[in-house]
Amino acid sequence: MAAPVISVDGVGIQFQRDRQRKRTLKDMLGRKELRQAPDEFWAFRDVSFDVHAGESIGVVGRNGQGKSTLLKMVAEVLIPDEGSVTVRQGVAPLIEITGGFVDDLSVHDNVYLAAGLHGKSKDEIDDEFAEIIEFAEIKDFVHTPYKHLSSGMKVRVAFSVVSRLDEPILLVDEVLAVGDRGFRRKCYARIEEMLAEGRTMFFVSHSDGDLKRFCNRGLYLDKGRMQYDGPIDEAFERYTTDYA
Amino acid sequence: MTAAVSAPRALAPAKRTTYWSRYRQALWLLTTRDLKVRYTTSRLGYLWSIIDPLLMGLIYWVVFGFIFHRGGVSEDPYILFLLSAVLPWTWLNGNLSDATRAFRQEAKLIRSVKIPRSIWILRQIASKGIEFLISLSIIVFFALITLKAPSPWTLVYLPVAIALQVLLTVGCNFIIAPLSVFYRDLERVVKLGLPVLFYAAPVLYHLDIGNPVLHFLYGLNPVAGLLDLYRGCFFPQIVDWVYVVEGTIVSLVIFTIGAVVFRRSIPRVLKEL
Repeated sequence: MAAPVISVDGVGIQFQRDRQRKRTLKDMLGRKELRQAPDEFWAFRDVSFDVHAGESIGVVGRNGQGKSTLLKMVAEVLIPDEGSVTVRQGVAPLIEITGGFVDDLSVHDNVYLAAGLHGKSKDEIDDEFAEIIEFAEIKDFVHTPYKHLSSGMKVRVAFSVVSRLDEPILLVDEVLAVGDRGFRRKCYARIEEMLAEGRTMFFVSHSDGDLKRFCNRGLYLDKGRMQYDGPIDEAFERYTTDYA
Repeated sequence: MTAAVSAPRALAPAKRTTYWSRYRQALWLLTTRDLKVRYTTSRLGYLWSIIDPLLMGLIYWVVFGFIFHRGGVSEDPYILFLLSAVLPWTWLNGNLSDATRAFRQEAKLIRSVKIPRSIWILRQIASKGIEFLISLSIIVFFALITLKAPSPWTLVYLPVAIALQVLLTVGCNFIIAPLSVFYRDLERVVKLGLPVLFYAAPVLYHLDIGNPVLHFLYGLNPVAGLLDLYRGCFFPQIVDWVYVVEGTIVSLVIFTIGAVVFRRSIPRVLKEL
């Protein structure tokens, strides 16, 4: 079997309980071992799993069990305090997708900016620009400043850009709950299309339906540990028995 | 494991662009984004990068040239002497005060896209640096009026000075930017510190310090050597090479410390955003 595309090995991360606590320079810059302060807690520890190409994984668990945190580590926008995360292929993160967009620039400029920051060359964007605009159904507003779009339209443009990235790994965090019904259906269709193309997906959602629809493997996070890793239905079963 | 049952569109073969080409691309995109925003949101656009230092230069010229008669601590023509330090100072000043917002301003983007973290520092320096280069046209203008041209030999100081300034600013901002995520007070400290640094550095004057100890101590301020180099383009006789050497060493030290601080604090910065 080919090497896994994502390897998560013994990962843990801690956060501060009390944000107001005074932080000294020493404890920021000191070595990791010395940094454990009394009011820090582990969001989770010792999480390990491998993801192979083409798998689609859903993360199940209650609020605050670190589902999104785990996803952000796979996106490498958050660095674990222990263990390691290795991602061997390019990633298209559908996390806070409107993050890279600038209010004062036009939709056109924003598409080039956001796609470029995700690693697309100008020529590639030129080729796909029409497609992106069409998918977002925003043809009449290409030269409108981004800030004048409605919030639904903003998300549509952003989704359209990120979902056009040709990266083999797709990370999805709750973004499907946005847009109107028609657009949501389009998003679902697009994600299914991408899965059919053989992409790997890592999915965080509170919607049981979405998870069961898209994922074949489930990770269940609870009480700061990974409690289960296996078929998605079984993961849900565990979750439901624990919190009926 | 699910194999793709039907593949409507074959996945593009994983294109492996190199780390540095992506780094350059992202840096360029973010730098031009800053300039584009400034250009589209204001009528005068790029002119502002000239107006600001020009106005400051003229004010100092009037106040210190005509009102205080600058008792022998400068060179003629005074306006060139002033501008050759005021312009780089404007760049330095802008970058050091912007650094306190380097991460917070971009929090959403940093949380969602993996971009090498040092870009958030470098892009500020790059976009302000481009404005600095534009503002150099003021100096050209006044050099033409006052008929004082730098010799081709001393013009070499300019790229060296720019390189030294980038080194110094990157080093400082590697420290200021992550720390100001944790300590909001730092923004105020920097705001207060910059005017102090302005008057302590030889922007409005140039001193010949006789006492060797004081001379050495004064040179520990890296801005002294830096401004001497810039001025050397027009006034090669005033370059104090002791200051330049001290400034370079201090800048290297700051850069090294900065690199360590930056590296170590990044995981915490990411959590805090």
